[in-house]
Amino acid sequence: MSPKNNFSTYAPRPATLVKKEKLSDLVSLFEFEQDNGKALAHKPGQFIMLSIYGIGEAPFSVSSAPEAGNARFELAVRKTGTVTNALHDLKEGTKVGIRGPYGSYFPVQKFMGKDTLFVAGGLGYIPLRSLLRYQLKHRDEYGRIIVLLGTRNPKERIFVDRLAQLKERTDMEIHETVDVPDKNWKGNVGVITTLFPKVEINPQNTFVAMVGPPIMYRFCIGPCMDKGIPSKHIYVSLERRMKCGLGKCGHCQINGLSACVEGPVFKYDDIAPLSEAI
Amino acid sequence: MTAYTVSMEHIPPLLELWAKEYDVHVPVRDVDGFVNFSPWRPSAEIAWDYDVAYNSLKRFFLPPREDLLRFDLAASTAEPVMEAPLQLLFGVHPYDVKAINQLDQLMDQGTADVNYRKRREATVLVALTPEHVSDLAFWSSVGADSVDIGFDMYFTRISPSSFYVEVLSPKGEELLLARGELPRSTLPEREAAKRKKAAIRAKADKNGISFPWKQTPKLMSRHWDSPLWRNKARHCLSCGSCVMVCPTCYCFDVREEADLDLKGGRRFREWDGCMLPSFALVAGDHNFRPEARDRYRHRYFRKGKYIFDKIGELGCVGCGRCVNACTTGIANPMAVFNDLWEADNHES
Repeated sequence: MSPKNNFSTYAPRPATLVKKEKLSDLVSLFEFEQDNGKALAHKPGQFIMLSIYGIGEAPFSVSSAPEAGNARFELAVRKTGTVTNALHDLKEGTKVGIRGPYGSYFPVQKFMGKDTLFVAGGLGYIPLRSLLRYQLKHRDEYGRIIVLLGTRNPKERIFVDRLAQLKERTDMEIHETVDVPDKNWKGNVGVITTLFPKVEINPQNTFVAMVGPPIMYRFCIGPCMDKGIPSKHIYVSLERRMKCGLGKCGHCQINGLSACVEGPVFKYDDIAPLSEAI
Repeated sequence: MTAYTVSMEHIPPLLELWAKEYDVHVPVRDVDGFVNFSPWRPSAEIAWDYDVAYNSLKRFFLPPREDLLRFDLAASTAEPVMEAPLQLLFGVHPYDVKAINQLDQLMDQGTADVNYRKRREATVLVALTPEHVSDLAFWSSVGADSVDIGFDMYFTRISPSSFYVEVLSPKGEELLLARGELPRSTLPEREAAKRKKAAIRAKADKNGISFPWKQTPKLMSRHWDSPLWRNKARHCLSCGSCVMVCPTCYCFDVREEADLDLKGGRRFREWDGCMLPSFALVAGDHNFRPEARDRYRHRYFRKGKYIFDKIGELGCVGCGRCVNACTTGIANPMAVFNDLWEADNHES
């Protein structure tokens, strides 16, 4: 297994920030283009390591759908730490470094012909959007598409215009809620679990793709199973601190598994016995 | 395995010759009595009888701080850095060879870590049968009393003035014979080496885990909720000393810094440890292992189960370094495993 010539596992390749778009006060959408002109060739649910030299490197889920021949891809990122703050300050045209894609992904083939129930909490919508867009591109290959989306408050909602467009579509349904409304909010109020009674599903034919803050899984996996969805149909994405992306540095371990290699997307059955998972 | 008999007086000139090509490191006792691997000098007195070196040898493959990239801030480009000096480690005990063999497997698994691999490939390992066993060691009870891979030569002292030397690799043979042919070992010499190894193993057997080590993963699985974790971790200072001296701990952080002229900079990795409070901290101040108990348990699960699940060996070679390094006396894997084993027997 001797490495050939001077290829380094840790060396990023160049990409350019081509477009930046504010999604909320703290979240923006960043479109990058690989300088090598090749498609990122990621699968929905995978992540990349993004480098801003002099600041650092951090993992981000890809938010766009894979598309053959398209060297562009999107990340949606909240301003929260050193790398993300620096990213928000970058001007279009700036070069960054990327490694990856890394990790496991939503089994889009297994989902074929079946219904998909998306359960998205807050920024969890970002990686799920990659899967959703993939399925919408291959709409005929999938059954019903149902999206449950919970956000803390209307101000923190992201992809607002795009969601409005999706709500117009007749070949999918979106149910949205906010924990705390403002005076203009006309939709559902309450945590995401309040949406479950609103949807009718055919449980045996439904797969679940769930991403949200750590606390959300505990409260949402139960209602999925209460609806009769087999546990082996439930897929979750668990995020941890990742430094290497290769299962070496130890930071993202969930019991004996590395979230960066065996995850971030896990079949619920595989992580249910792990005390550190959810 | 081919074996040669090498006289004591033959060794200094050999080391001198090797040192022309390699950075040669040998066990040396310092003024305070601690043994450490240090660069060989003609004046160096090799601590032939050492029981354990204070620091492990992982630093030769995974340095405490190692550059991974050099970057140019203006151009936003980066070049990989892969340093791998030719090095020869002389006098490595079998449990430490075992630890390096484990790191080899873990760093090669999946996507190979090239920085590690290059350093490893640039290293010649010369093993040595121990003369003494540290009071804190329990290597013979965790399957680390002998190794048959990972080294180039293996020295066993068979008389005050001679060694039985097995050569495993062509490189090892070439280096051993670099000053000319040596006599092949005779059958009685081979027997003497065998006896020597058996004798030291018998000494080591006096301290150990009290059950077959292969049962450890199952034992661990039964004890996730044991009160032991809290009882021990109550005294934990979260200092990370156990991790730093451990020959099989390999967790690292990746950081970077710009040069003072702000034109370029470097990204490096440095040793990190799952016992340190910020190890599993993520954005938004969420800590996946907020308490010392969580971290303490995680470390022993890595040693006793998670590593085993990956490579079929305990992630502990029983060197006893952590026992020595821990200032509050809680970092003894043997005590942890034995206590859990006892708890089972008391329950049944």
